[in-house]
Amino acid sequence: MAVQPEVKNKTLLETALGLADDTFTRITAGISAGEFRRMLRGEAPGKPNPRLKPHTEAFLLHIKPTYYHESVTRFTHTFRLGLLSTYLFFVETITGLFLMIWYAPSPDRAYTDMTRLLSNVPFGQFMRDLHRLGAEMMIVVVVAHMVRTYLTGSYKPPRQFTWFTGVLLLVMTLFLSFSGYLLPWDQLAFWAVTIGTSMADAVPPQIVGATVNLLARGAPDISANGLLRFYLLHVFFLPLLLILFFFVHYYKVVHFGISLPAQEEEVGQDTASKVPADRRVYYLPDVLLDETMFLIGFTALMIVLTVFFFQAPLESIANPQSTPLHTVAPWYFYWLQGLLKIANKMVAGVILPGVLLGLLAGIPYLDPNPSRRGKDRRVAIISGIIAGVVMIIWSWMGTPYYAVRAAPATEIVQELIPEEGAGLVRELGYARLPNGIYDTTKEMLPEATLADYEKTNPGFVELLHEFKSLTAEFDKEDKDFNEPQSILTISQEQPHLKRIQWTITWKDAKGKDGKFTRSFFIHEDSMYWEQYGLRDFSYLSKPEKAK
Amino acid sequence: MRKPWYFWLYVRSPITKILLGMLAVLISFAALAAQGMFENKRMEAQTDNWHGRSVEKGAEIFSSNCYTCHGVDGKGLPGVAPALHSRYFFTQRMKDVGWAGSLHDYIALTVAAGRPSKSKSQWSQVMPTWSSKYGGPMRDDQVEQVTQFVLNWQEDALTQDWGTPAITSTTGVSGTGGVTGTTVTPMVNLDPFQPFHDGPSKAPTNTITYTVGTLGAAAVGTTAALSATLPQSAEAAAPAGPRPPQELYTAMACSGCHKIDQDQTPDNQGQPGPNQGNLHETAATRVSGEDAETYVYNSIVNPSAFVVPGYPDGIMPKDFKTKMSEEEIRSLVKWILDPNRPK
Ligand code: HEC
Ligand code: HEC
Ligand code: HEM
Repeated sequence: MAVQPEVKNKTLLETALGLADDTFTRITAGISAGEFRRMLRGEAPGKPNPRLKPHTEAFLLHIKPTYYHESVTRFTHTFRLGLLSTYLFFVETITGLFLMIWYAPSPDRAYTDMTRLLSNVPFGQFMRDLHRLGAEMMIVVVVAHMVRTYLTGSYKPPRQFTWFTGVLLLVMTLFLSFSGYLLPWDQLAFWAVTIGTSMADAVPPQIVGATVNLLARGAPDISANGLLRFYLLHVFFLPLLLILFFFVHYYKVVHFGISLPAQEEEVGQDTASKVPADRRVYYLPDVLLDETMFLIGFTALMIVLTVFFFQAPLESIANPQSTPLHTVAPWYFYWLQGLLKIANKMVAGVILPGVLLGLLAGIPYLDPNPSRRGKDRRVAIISGIIAGVVMIIWSWMGTPYYAVRAAPATEIVQELIPEEGAGLVRELGYARLPNGIYDTTKEMLPEATLADYEKTNPGFVELLHEFKSLTAEFDKEDKDFNEPQSILTISQEQPHLKRIQWTITWKDAKGKDGKFTRSFFIHEDSMYWEQYGLRDFSYLSKPEKAK
Repeated sequence: MRKPWYFWLYVRSPITKILLGMLAVLISFAALAAQGMFENKRMEAQTDNWHGRSVEKGAEIFSSNCYTCHGVDGKGLPGVAPALHSRYFFTQRMKDVGWAGSLHDYIALTVAAGRPSKSKSQWSQVMPTWSSKYGGPMRDDQVEQVTQFVLNWQEDALTQDWGTPAITSTTGVSGTGGVTGTTVTPMVNLDPFQPFHDGPSKAPTNTITYTVGTLGAAAVGTTAALSATLPQSAEAAAPAGPRPPQELYTAMACSGCHKIDQDQTPDNQGQPGPNQGNLHETAATRVSGEDAETYVYNSIVNPSAFVVPGYPDGIMPKDFKTKMSEEEIRSLVKWILDPNRPK
């Protein structure tokens, strides 16, 4: 066999090194080991720039520009929010995949699958919390990204279509999060989604609305079919659609280049894609390094948050027969819930959101001002701020603090021990709820006990105080709630189980007696801090149980 | 370009960037390791947490569905339904009926399916069917929750007295004699169990002395060997004259299935039977041609004649005619339909 003369001259070591370098270059799609070393040492590339090769060779890199304008690589220009949105989507995909292993979308199983995941799967809770945290962060990040592009005027020509695909991405992100909301099959999920889909019902004409609602729910009420449909939307259809529009959006961004800070170009011009040679920052290695380290840092932040602070709440299992008092939408739909309180379903649930969305998508055309400079855009910026404030006010109206008040007695109890969620009583927990009868019209605790509790159990003293002042408050506010007597009775129902009974009597405006009684139960082992989204570490300090 | 004031925050050196990235990786691993260290304890606490929460839910179910027959604290009602909060129930009952599975399954299946009425039952009630699989009102998870609640009595039930030596020595093992001596310390925690007629205990008589309790103070000190004494059933105990309607309402355990102090409204549909607080308004509208009294009378003696929409047929017992006299049924109907019935 004829051996190439140059190979003949090489030693074994040289051949091996050459092979290794060759492999390295294949993997990095065109960067040799020596070039890699020069990159790490921060040396300038040679000419022609050998670091451009991966952009033409590698699939994932070909959608990234080879170089950026120096001004847009600065963190405070984009805050890397677009990148972060994409990244969070991948975090969701991966954590979601793990959750799918333990989850079956059927009403018989979904909820127990969740509790089993939380109590029997190592790192199962971590995965769920990370997935939930990622989902909520993604909404925040996408909205913040929108605000950033709005404030820098990046929706102006030629980027109108980029903005439009962005609006589609926003809508899909919201739907993606909302469709995931139903899957744990708890009360929170069930009723939020029932209310959500019922808005589709209001779409005119009636036949369309009713059909859309029926298609989403799979039956007149959400049940097995509805759960399956939401599941498929959540794990398959919406992510697919989102990925598609990611690419459209990304392509537009690369095509036009990220808009420069407004001061750097003439009004009405767009020079983003013509970067002078001395202002170029190459993707490889500079921007890649920045992005990678930024994402690693962000991942660390998410992990630390989930391990030490955040815990996704899970309410009791969905019960189609009982609507909990004050059901709430997820926070990013509070504004919609607020609107629904002041207008009917058709106006608040269909027409207004439609108009708002239309306005948002139409911003590039509504704002004819060619300048992207802050001082020329007073109107745009001020109207943006006003829109934000209005959103916040509507959202506040969506919380239970606005306009849906039940009867005073119900409301007092709901405040202290809500049907779903935690409340002061569950916060205290079994051990800090001493058995006894506590009557607001009398001295609630004997002098000596009070002094003792103030030191050893201040939470309970606060609870009694709150109970009394809530009663007094409603007495003052509501003319149908007079001379109230509120009694809290805590008794032992079973081993490890206390009964928390509320008895409230009052006289209405005509002097007629009213009475409200309701019992709740608290078990020694139940923990409720997660209802606030907070991690509960109380188990670490609990004494070991004798088994 | 002008440098912004926060310029110093920019990290420029690639080495620093890489070091910061490595630090972040280290922090992530440290956090994950911390999580891993507590993982076993956390899973245990979560298991207990979800068990605790289902007991809480089960307690709510029990206190709205079961207490009317089985008593507020599960100690049973004499002649109405057996005790569940009972040492006998937790230790001997399964052996006596020859149940090979777990107590959990015994309870869950009894609750789910109910017990068909027997021709000569010692109980004035039948155990209704609860699972929606068999036409009852509860979902599976609710059956599970109430089962967890019943099981949670175990710890206390096991401390119940089956006649301590002190008592048996004063009263003797057999016979029904009450406590006569004054030296006996009162037993605070007697097993309230009432023996089953159709499932006599196979426990050796000498080893276990059951306390046959009725309820409350009357029971204290009445000890007897199980095989020797059986309490009187509700039927046998029927007194001479007609019983007053409010007593019938609980003794026949109408109250076990119906709530008389609540109205039947679209938002408040009683389970397993409709609420009856406002029956005096609705009864006349149920069946055309029947006035309120006729309708309610017929509903009691022949529940299948008209089945309230939304409720399955066959839950309400059909044998009330044999358990109450004509006069009693009439007075019960009047009482139910009385809009001024004292609450
Ligand atoms: C209408 C009255 C009634 C109601 C309401 C009722 N039960 Fe029963 N239950 C009975 C009767 C009667 C029996 C005994 C049946 C028999 O003869 O074996 C029984 C038996 C049982 C048993 C089996 C006891 C044993 O030792 O075999 C369990 C467990 C039980 N009930 C649980 C419940 C629970 C839990 C509820 C509430 C969801 C409930 N019951 C509601 C009447 C009732
Ligand atoms: C085991 C459960 C159960 C018990 C015990 C029971 N019921 Fe019922 N009852 C039902 C159910 C279920 C219905 C509805 C279905 C039907 O009409 O048969 C009903 C229906 C009725 C109705 C018709 C109600 C209406 O709104 O039209 C009346 C009246 C009634 N019951 C009276 C009584 C009385 C009186 C007693 C006691 C003597 C009693 N029930 C005991 C389960 C029960
Ligand atoms: C899932 C959601 C989204 C993803 C993944 C995404 C991704 C990106 C990325 C990576 C960029 C490059 C610049 C940067 O990082 O800031 C970008 C730019 C842009 N995005 Fe988005 N985006 C999303 C949603 C939106 C939304 C909701 C809008 C507005 C309604 C929007 C409008 C724009 C515009 C106008 C630009 C061009 C900015 C410029 O040239 O300066 N995007 N997007």
